[in-house]
Amino acid sequence: MQQQTLQEKRLEKLLREREIIELMVKAFTQSPTEDDKLNTDLAKVTLEHHDRIIRCVKEGKPFIYSYYACAPEIYAAMDLPWYSFLELPFTGALLPTLQEDIDGSDKLFANDLCTIIRVAAYYIEADLVPVPNAIVGLIHPCDGTTILHQLIASNENWRNVPMFAADPPYWDDERSIDYYAGELRRMVSFLEEHTGHRMDMDRLREVIKEGNKQFELWMEYNELRRAVPCPHGYGIGMQMSGVAQGYYVGDPRGTAWLRDLIADAEKLVREKRGKAPKERIRLFWFDVVSLELSFELFPWLEQEWGAVIVMDMFGYCPYTLIDTSNEDAMFRGLAKRALFDEPMIRQARGVAENFLADIRRVIKDYKIDCVVWPGHMGHKDGSASVGLMRETCRELGVPFLHIGMDLFNKRYTSVDEIKNKLSQFFTAMGLG
Amino acid sequence: MQTSIKSRALKEFAEATATLANPAVEEWKRQGGKVVGYFCSYFPEEIATAAGFLPFRMRATGSKGTELADAYLSSINCSFTRHCFNMGLLGEYGFIDGAVCLSTCDHVRRVYDNWKWKVNTPFVHMMSLPKKVEEPQVGWYRDEMVNLKQALEKHFSVKITDDRLWEAIRLHNETRRLQRQLYELRKRQNPPITGAEALSVMVAGTAMPKQQYNLLLRELLDEISQREGNADYKARLMILGGILDDPGYIEVIEEQGGLVVTDMLCFGTKIMWKDVPEGTGDPLAALAQYYIAERPSCPRMFGDYPRRADFVRDMVREFKVDGIIGERLIFCDLWALEHYLQAKESKAGGVPYLILDREYLLAGIGQLRTRVQAFLETIRR
Repeated sequence: MQQQTLQEKRLEKLLREREIIELMVKAFTQSPTEDDKLNTDLAKVTLEHHDRIIRCVKEGKPFIYSYYACAPEIYAAMDLPWYSFLELPFTGALLPTLQEDIDGSDKLFANDLCTIIRVAAYYIEADLVPVPNAIVGLIHPCDGTTILHQLIASNENWRNVPMFAADPPYWDDERSIDYYAGELRRMVSFLEEHTGHRMDMDRLREVIKEGNKQFELWMEYNELRRAVPCPHGYGIGMQMSGVAQGYYVGDPRGTAWLRDLIADAEKLVREKRGKAPKERIRLFWFDVVSLELSFELFPWLEQEWGAVIVMDMFGYCPYTLIDTSNEDAMFRGLAKRALFDEPMIRQARGVAENFLADIRRVIKDYKIDCVVWPGHMGHKDGSASVGLMRETCRELGVPFLHIGMDLFNKRYTSVDEIKNKLSQFFTAMGLG
Repeated sequence: MQTSIKSRALKEFAEATATLANPAVEEWKRQGGKVVGYFCSYFPEEIATAAGFLPFRMRATGSKGTELADAYLSSINCSFTRHCFNMGLLGEYGFIDGAVCLSTCDHVRRVYDNWKWKVNTPFVHMMSLPKKVEEPQVGWYRDEMVNLKQALEKHFSVKITDDRLWEAIRLHNETRRLQRQLYELRKRQNPPITGAEALSVMVAGTAMPKQQYNLLLRELLDEISQREGNADYKARLMILGGILDDPGYIEVIEEQGGLVVTDMLCFGTKIMWKDVPEGTGDPLAALAQYYIAERPSCPRMFGDYPRRADFVRDMVREFKVDGIIGERLIFCDLWALEHYLQAKESKAGGVPYLILDREYLLAGIGQLRTRVQAFLETIRR
């Protein structure tokens, strides 16, 4: 009885999130628009994924925690159910308990620690998430992820859960790729040892080939976003990376979803139409387009200022295709993708030049009118690059704004304050 | 707790700690010596020594503000990096011939990018520091040392031979042995040196030529080893944290009656509790093994927490510690959760633990005093 109670407690958040996704599926299904069809398809796969994890917990079957940036092609090839543990605080805006959880985390940890990391750590310490069979930890691109995984490994309920974390090199050279490929191979051995699932190289090849198609489509879609007006608004970047490196990895349904998205964008580009009412400002939002702000801030930007987020940190990607001709090439390709392509990892893992190169490229390719660095309180390395970002933008003659906010907690900087800063910036720069 | 040591050596150490370009550095420069500044205690000082250079641990001692740096860094970056970069922008670090950064943490690693763009130091180099402590990481870091060695050789037209590296390792091991002797004295019931004085000695070790430092430290050890120690204290304390380089901070704690007898700091046991194994093989392999896998690690090293916790337990036992103070620079994510873990474990073991957030420059002394007083009350030794 006690065991069941504990399991129920650990599943509660996942189940509540599942309920909300199910409601979204129902609502989208009743709507005939193309947008809602795309959203329905995504929500259905997310639901399916949640169900698989919930089943594993209830039936005692192996599943792991891992992340989009830890070569998810490998879990897909091993047919290993995986769940991104940081997804819960990330999608926290869907749950009514977010503020309560933030308050809970504040009682335990310093509140200058990234909210996502703090809330995740709180879930571990308060025993609010199911314990997996193994963990592939993420120890980059920030200090928060490193020490969060150390906390997980030290918690009394979790310390016996085997954990592997690939060590990220700081450089982008061949030596770094070889080193990280070696780490990924050690990760496979670890997963085979602790989950009973085996790696099938032929299956890995299939998954990567499907992934390559998705990355090609991602590139094709981003070409369409160069159009003026931009066919789609905010939020698509997060969805794109979610499809190509999330639960759709190696899944032909993800490829089909991307094709549908491209068809919709092509239609709008041909009609010289954008989803936003009237595009007046083309904006590069250089961070996460968080769910927490998706209901208030981003729609306001489009409606009030005609400011369209043409590109964001998660939507932009160098689209490395992986050579599948042999095992070594596949692991080196996965290493490159994990280090150089993955949103946020690609910018924040190494030198500041990675941020600057993205700014230069995106401004030129997407006819950007202004760059906004939200200055999320957890992104300390990025905020230590803010002067260099500003100078880079100045060289290109594009206005730059650094706000200073918490992307996941509106109490840090209120939405009204953020709106004020943006309005003052647009006005001062003569935009919109 | 007032010092009563009237030692020439301690005076020189205190002076080296209270300034940047101290007399020893000035003399070194006058004789044409080169100085290589470094930003993290994982920097293999021995390589700089083997090149004939003076390794100098970067600090922001004497900084008055962060106005210039704030245009490049932000208010959520730690005050150590902001002050340090500000001093770089002000030209206070004109005496260094090279700067080496490591991918230590989210704040310090960005000093590299900003320094390279904005400060006119002739040689600026970055090392990729692994985040784990296993065999592949030792191999990776050895290669990083090869890159550093080659970069120094190329830029400064010097040759760093294996023989010179072994010689440097022996010299630095001697420093570490002497520093451990100093800590041995602190194990006494009445330690002959305060925590603030000991920190001065340790900081000076990163700002003076090692031969000169070792001579002075031997002199100090001779002077104080027979000395009557401090008996007037309420509790024996250990300090845990990162870059604490200001003895004034410990002075405030000791003025309240706590005697700091040991630590796990970047200017403390972390840099000297173990030696590099001396031998005749590959000196860089020996250094990589020491820096990554042997010495007490930083919280950035994933998977090594149990060894860090064991180290703290051993320190508490060996130094008869009554309570632990965990200091953290505000905005440091690593120490935020490391202190949480250490405090939980420490309290479960019956050792009180106080977490103090601080800014790099000593401020809020009144609040610090009150919190330490309250903490000492809870210890009630």
